[in-house]
Amino acid sequence: MKTKFINIIVLIFITLTSCEYDDFDQPKAMLTGKVVFQGNPVGVRTNGPQLELWESGHALYTKIPVYIAHDGSYSAALFNGKYKLVRLSGAPWEPQSNDTVIIDVKGNTIKDIEVIPYLIVRNESFQKNSSGNISAKFIVDKIVQESNLAEVRLFLGKNILTDQNKHEYVVNADVESIILGQEFEMIAVLPKEISSTDYLFVRIGVRSNKSSEFYYTQTQKIILN
Amino acid sequence: MKNKILYILISFMVIGHFTCCNEDSWLQRTPKDRITDEQLWNDPNMILGLLANYYDRLPQLAGVFNTGTNAELDDAMWSGHVDQNSRNDFNYADDYGRYWDYKFIRDINLAMENMELYSQKLTDLQKKQFKAEFRFLRAYVYFELVKRMGGVPLVTTQLIYDGSGDPTSLQMPRAKEAEIYDFIYDEIQIIQDDFIQTQGSRTRANKYTALALQSRVMLYAASIAKYNSQMGAPISTPGGEIGIPEDRANEYYQKSLTASEAIIASSEYTLYNPVGVSKGESFYKLFMDKSVSEVIFAKDFMTGKVHGFTYENVVRSFRSDIEGSSMLSPSLSLVECFDYLDGSKGTLRDKDAVGNYIAYENMSDIFANKDMRLYGTVVYPGSNFRSQTVDIQAGVAVWENDRYSFRVGDLGTIYDDGKTLTGFDGPRDNDQYVSNTGFYIRKYVSENAQDGVRPSLASNWWVWFRLGEIYLNAAEAAFELGLPKSKDYINTIREKHGGFPANSIEDLTIDIIQNERRVELAFEDHRFFDLKRWRIADKILNGQDSDVNAVVHGLYPYRICRPGHENDGKYIFERMKPTRFKKARFFRPANYYSSIEQKVLDNNPKLIKNPFH
Repeated sequence: MKTKFINIIVLIFITLTSCEYDDFDQPKAMLTGKVVFQGNPVGVRTNGPQLELWESGHALYTKIPVYIAHDGSYSAALFNGKYKLVRLSGAPWEPQSNDTVIIDVKGNTIKDIEVIPYLIVRNESFQKNSSGNISAKFIVDKIVQESNLAEVRLFLGKNILTDQNKHEYVVNADVESIILGQEFEMIAVLPKEISSTDYLFVRIGVRSNKSSEFYYTQTQKIILN
Repeated sequence: MKNKILYILISFMVIGHFTCCNEDSWLQRTPKDRITDEQLWNDPNMILGLLANYYDRLPQLAGVFNTGTNAELDDAMWSGHVDQNSRNDFNYADDYGRYWDYKFIRDINLAMENMELYSQKLTDLQKKQFKAEFRFLRAYVYFELVKRMGGVPLVTTQLIYDGSGDPTSLQMPRAKEAEIYDFIYDEIQIIQDDFIQTQGSRTRANKYTALALQSRVMLYAASIAKYNSQMGAPISTPGGEIGIPEDRANEYYQKSLTASEAIIASSEYTLYNPVGVSKGESFYKLFMDKSVSEVIFAKDFMTGKVHGFTYENVVRSFRSDIEGSSMLSPSLSLVECFDYLDGSKGTLRDKDAVGNYIAYENMSDIFANKDMRLYGTVVYPGSNFRSQTVDIQAGVAVWENDRYSFRVGDLGTIYDDGKTLTGFDGPRDNDQYVSNTGFYIRKYVSENAQDGVRPSLASNWWVWFRLGEIYLNAAEAAFELGLPKSKDYINTIREKHGGFPANSIEDLTIDIIQNERRVELAFEDHRFFDLKRWRIADKILNGQDSDVNAVVHGLYPYRICRPGHENDGKYIFERMKPTRFKKARFFRPANYYSSIEQKVLDNNPKLIKNPFH
């Protein structure tokens, strides 16, 4: 009886002590921020474009992928330390894979990442007109001179995560008739299945010929009925 | 007493010492449990055994009866066990299609060097033959590397570590993408006349196998050169590891055409087109009959070396095992790619201009007068399998309140009127081991019921190269070079395999060629790589929920239940999006070249990363 008791005690001790060996604290420092151009957040496709973080000084050298939310914000749970952030290609902005951003993470850190989009959309406004259709007014600007306007689309969805991949309805603009730097108006004639909903999320996307990803405006909610 | 023993021992030692010295060979005996290099490289049969291993290791992505990967494109979805439904619900990851098999490259290099070193008893002809096969295999592996990863380190000799603690001599930089394609071309130019013993072989490489590889490889290089530079932002690296200069396109197309025409001109191979058999039937037989003269190179299977493709994909009610079947469900978009024989587009006529259902007397009527390869590739509602009509019917369409409402049941159920509700072969939405799209695959699925039973399974072979592809390669290369004969090549194959009238295409476009390859070469491990080299993968597999190609759709047949009406008992077809299909196929530009594994990059600082990664 006594030996059994001792065995149990020993077993408990072993379990408790062995835990210590691989018991790390979880990363507590939150690195958060937005992807911005001239101070304005850049809208993207949810989980589309990627940033990556590298921390040198470890035997296992591998990247920490950082996904960007639809409104351009990102976050990563990290340990304190010095990280290098790389802006990968496959995004609506110029890749700067050689120009890393060094981020000192100490506790919760906020860092906005500057990017140079090929094209941007500004001064966008959406309105429900009298016939129940949605009119969008906006200005397209070219930022990177070598790029060309490939597509302009008005996305409508029932979900805030509305983009090129997820949308209920989409209208293409005639790219030829868009003059850069001047206001342009698009009208979405809503099909029956959509016009009966209470509200819609809308956003405009522009794509340059340099990338497969769109630059999006921030999603806006429009009350329909 | 003590001394006596000592003396005896010493005398034994002395005697033993002398005798041992004489017989030194006692320690040098031929091992019984392993084969030495001398033995291996002087015995042609053993070398053949080694070669068999290498042929068996030839790489594939969606080939050699790989049901799973075939369910990850736009041609089909996964209807097998729900555990693997991720195939209907995934993004192509950065490492999708990654391939970095330098172990295989080393094995081949090592084999060639050892043959040089040890082979004394082989004749020069034998050595030439084996060497040509090794170099063919190496060229094939490099092709697989370059089409997935871009320019890779070109290693043609064994790399030996010198023990100095400095591995720099083993770290090779990546070659240019074009250099790998040139290497493959040059290798085949050198070896093509060295295959003395394998003329006529379908399972070992010979001159025409090598030329077939050359035809395909050069076509890939040419189309990458052409279509990459037409992209808004061509995918390239400054050092040329990715990206081929545009000005090389014509040269590559010409090289591909020359190789294709050498095969077509030889009398070794003919397009399979037997008289007295329906074209659909013979297109199916082309893959199942090992005596067909169209096949250039195949991976053979036999009792003891079998594959589960029939077990995995047989039509549900024809399954002879307790589970399995129906895993690969061809998509509606694939079925609609098959043109009508009168030359019109293959879009199925399920509804009329004003949106009313068109009722068909027989279920198969909607597929009537289509390209006959459809029958040979896909089992569709109302067609035959194993000489029996398949029982595909989704449910009944009951006329209520001026419209049809659909009723479905379990497999093999009867409706109130005493006739079939849902057929034994489904389709059933959101079910497993039964088609979710209304279609089953026929290509490569055996007619023999025993072939679907584990563990004996099926032994029909896998076709790596066949003349049909060579015709399409020739057509595409000639088209890109602006030669009028391109039309002849494509019309020949449409006539002989598809049953079209002669000269069915008058104005050839790249779209027609792309469609023709999708139709003719469906489920033969071409689609993914074709989409990549034309640089249209990101447009076809565009990730959009509303896209009929990126989202696999199905077509469900319903029997009309409308007593007293002329359409009662006829069939209508409903396009549908299978519930199990969750995420539109989404190919990002990053997927044109897979990422290199971080471990590999860490070990070799000279490697540069692929774009987007």
